Amino acid sequence: MGQGDAPERTRRALAAAFDPVFYRTVYDDIGRTGSDPLRHYARTGWREGRDPAPWFSNTGYLERYPEAAGEDPFLHYLQVGWRKGYEPSGSAHRSRFLERAGARQKANGISWPPVPVDADLPAGLTRQAARELAAEAFDPVFYLSSWPDVAEAGVDPLEHFLEAGWREGRDPSPDFCSAEYLEANPDLAATGVNPFLHWLAVGQAEGRSKQFELGYRGRIVTGLTPLADRMEAADRAALAIPTGLSRDLAPLLAEGRRRDLHVTFSHDDAFRSVGGLQLCIQTESAGLARRGVDHLHFSPPVPWPTLRPEGHRAPIGVTWNGRTLGHFSVPDVSAALSARKGRGRVTFAIHSLLGHEAGETLDLLSAAGARRGLFWVHDFTGLCAGYHLMRDNMLDCGAPPAGSAACGICVFGPARHLHLSSHHRLFEALDLTLVGPSQAALDVWNAAPDAPFVRDQRVHPHARLAPTGRRAGGDPDAPLVVAFLGIPTPYKGWPVFEELAGRFRQDPRYRFVRLSSVVLPGAPAEHIPVSVSAEAPDAMRKALESAGVDVAILWSLGRETFSFAAYEAAAAGAAILTGPDSGNVAAFTRAGGHGLVLPDEATLFAQFESGAVRHLSRASRRPEICEIAYSGMSVDLLEALS
Amino acid sequence: MKVLVYSSFTFSYLNRARVLFQTLKRFHPDWEAVALITDEPPPGFAFDPAAEPFDRVVWAKDLGIEPFRSWLFRHDVVEVCTAVKGPFLHQVCEAGEADIAIYLDPDTALFAPLDPLVEMLGRDDILLTPHLIDPNDDRGAILDNDLATLRTGIFNLGFVAIRTIGEGARFARWWNDRLLAFCYDDIPNGLFVDQRWCDHVPALFDRVKVIRDPGYNVASWNLSKRKVAITRQGEILVNGATLRFWHFTKLGPTGDVMTKRYAGDNFEVYEIWRWYKEAVAAATDPAIPERWWAYGQFDDGAPIAKPQRVLYRERADLQAAYPDPFEGGYQAWWKAEGPGRRG
Repeated sequence: MGQGDAPERTRRALAAAFDPVFYRTVYDDIGRTGSDPLRHYARTGWREGRDPAPWFSNTGYLERYPEAAGEDPFLHYLQVGWRKGYEPSGSAHRSRFLERAGARQKANGISWPPVPVDADLPAGLTRQAARELAAEAFDPVFYLSSWPDVAEAGVDPLEHFLEAGWREGRDPSPDFCSAEYLEANPDLAATGVNPFLHWLAVGQAEGRSKQFELGYRGRIVTGLTPLADRMEAADRAALAIPTGLSRDLAPLLAEGRRRDLHVTFSHDDAFRSVGGLQLCIQTESAGLARRGVDHLHFSPPVPWPTLRPEGHRAPIGVTWNGRTLGHFSVPDVSAALSARKGRGRVTFAIHSLLGHEAGETLDLLSAAGARRGLFWVHDFTGLCAGYHLMRDNMLDCGAPPAGSAACGICVFGPARHLHLSSHHRLFEALDLTLVGPSQAALDVWNAAPDAPFVRDQRVHPHARLAPTGRRAGGDPDAPLVVAFLGIPTPYKGWPVFEELAGRFRQDPRYRFVRLSSVVLPGAPAEHIPVSVSAEAPDAMRKALESAGVDVAILWSLGRETFSFAAYEAAAAGAAILTGPDSGNVAAFTRAGGHGLVLPDEATLFAQFESGAVRHLSRASRRPEICEIAYSGMSVDLLEALS
Repeated sequence: MKVLVYSSFTFSYLNRARVLFQTLKRFHPDWEAVALITDEPPPGFAFDPAAEPFDRVVWAKDLGIEPFRSWLFRHDVVEVCTAVKGPFLHQVCEAGEADIAIYLDPDTALFAPLDPLVEMLGRDDILLTPHLIDPNDDRGAILDNDLATLRTGIFNLGFVAIRTIGEGARFARWWNDRLLAFCYDDIPNGLFVDQRWCDHVPALFDRVKVIRDPGYNVASWNLSKRKVAITRQGEILVNGATLRFWHFTKLGPTGDVMTKRYAGDNFEVYEIWRWYKEAVAAATDPAIPERWWAYGQFDDGAPIAKPQRVLYRERADLQAAYPDPFEGGYQAWWKAEGPGRRG
């Protein structure tokens, strides 16, 4: 919501503070002629030395603060004076006003001062005036998209908000939150006034805060759930998972199979979930199938926010060549693995140990007869439960020492030691090669003071760009199409994009779009639905190209180890704008000249304010369109393990 | 150099005190941690001092204040928990139990070692932290902070540290004497528990050090002039200085509003508060009723109103007539003849 232009602000400020009853009561000519008191005051009244309210004397104000000479002293006070702490004095007509008002009270037997008929309306505002005022700032599109039940009911959104919605906690625009306004202005909470109307009619003129300006990082922090609560919830959910019978593990032992086996570990059943890591494991599985190698995948029974502590028992999810067999006790699975020992070579790859217990992992690998394997740095679960290395889920932390003050206050702090000690144990017991999908990922690991030292390291990117020779073009005069890709989370930089789009979405130089499978009511960008899957791995690239996206904002707040989005954006001819903490995004952007790595958010906003970002349009750059060639994941590295 | 750290509280603040002493023990396992408690454990709560993160419990009733129940009745919970700080400190000095004694409010917590205090007490005998070390310029902040501290005291007595000899011991004796007689929340008469008294300290005592390091006693009342930063090396800095201890005054909505008003977008402040709330919640025993205080009620269970305490402390005749006002006599008098009589 904009503040309106200056005359409009002035009118509102004046309308909110001016007292028409006082004006009509003490200036008989106004009462006699029926002139509109506010209009009269604004045009001539103040020049004639008339006072606008019983608590304000124009002459008294001018005597104290001569700097207001030549302009309406009341407006000077409302716009400037109060900020400087200027104190107005009461009108000389105040006593007369009170006398007359008192007389009226006696005569009519009504209470005085008048109580508004509707407590939700700020004093002096009629319902009609309130409606007109609200209509100027109310965002019906936001309201209907935020509250589908209102849209379904087919009622007028503004009417609904004024009559019921505000009481139900429904906000009228993306720029106004009633709960936050009341928190910042606790004196209003008990009055029953509609906070939005109060802000429009009174609050902004009084210089009140619309909300406490915590910034998105502050808001994330205040909304965090303690890790202990999340672990307890996971524990409860796991108890509801039935443990399967060992006979259901029969496929692992099918007679006549003398094949090599590849074992993988990750945080979920990669064949039933959607995501970058899941696609990687599906790719790995498909490659194994082509080579005639069996694939056994282990995952925790439910999503877990941390590794499981030593000695914690839970069933383990088993997927056999892409088919989910169920959840089994670890001793049962170990027994099955022992029984097939010696049938062929066994390799393994740890993609994530979130939700696993390190001792169980070692038991399973020992039962399978595997000791040499790959440890993928898809994220930093090996260093912290905050596997994006974002302190309190909102800022790149730099992986400081586990005993640091920063880790002491971080929401992930309580599990840091567990993650480090569990991974140290694994790296000591196994012969692991550390595989980074980017050098940026390995750099972070190697710089962390508490990370397990791993001699054998290699970089194996998930994908590379394959030039097509085709160049993208565009209309140089069209609005710059600016996109957010994927799931709108803080890690992916959604709060920054949201603020950027919110600030510039009315600017004709830009058009903001959001390419994602996630529906997000009220988001300040046009939604283009996109779902990437094993069947359609290039859906995002194609959607980017067909939408003519000029710029992709990949403002990841934490270190990306590999950004498919960056590859997809570059392949589709979109320039990347990213920040300094985005890991592989920044490294890829720099190395390939795919866009700009900006030093901070202020510079990003300045690019849009000045319009400098328009130099990144497809028309200006004429970028080459590429295909994306995907790696075979661990399958490419199996020979190295021999 | 033997260091003793104590905190004064009731069982409703045990959760906060646990957090304080846990953080103290993290950095100073060798310093003696003493819980000074003016309360009795609530029914249903099994208080096991050996399982607590402090080394010793001192009960206010054992401080030798006579007549204890009469003296206690004259104070509300904040007043009395403040008042006992002086007698205990004085007794530590008299008994030579430690070389250095440090008081910390139960709602403080350490984020780094307090070793620099020991160094400072090599040069001075008394250490105090002012509420403000930089003047405010904004009118609202002046009203909320600068003017408020003119009423409640220049120094925040959530912290004081002394050498237990010399000027430190002399201060402890003086503080003991004043707090036994005049530790009331009576701002119109120039008193705000122990704090206004300490406005006198730089004038009355030598070897006083006013700590102007912004890393000490950070609280909502000085956030307007302190900026918190957390480095990639994991340090928490306040205006560039290491954060030593924070004073988490007013845990709850009131504190939240003041914090948000002055922290603004300094999100590191919310991180510190988030941690504290989680730590206090984890240290909370559900067997302790909220706002529990054994001395908040007469012996028959009826709550004691503040006016009943104020009248009693003002009237020597009532003190003489009812040496144990918790018993029924004073209560009966109040109903029959006091301001609370009916009709």
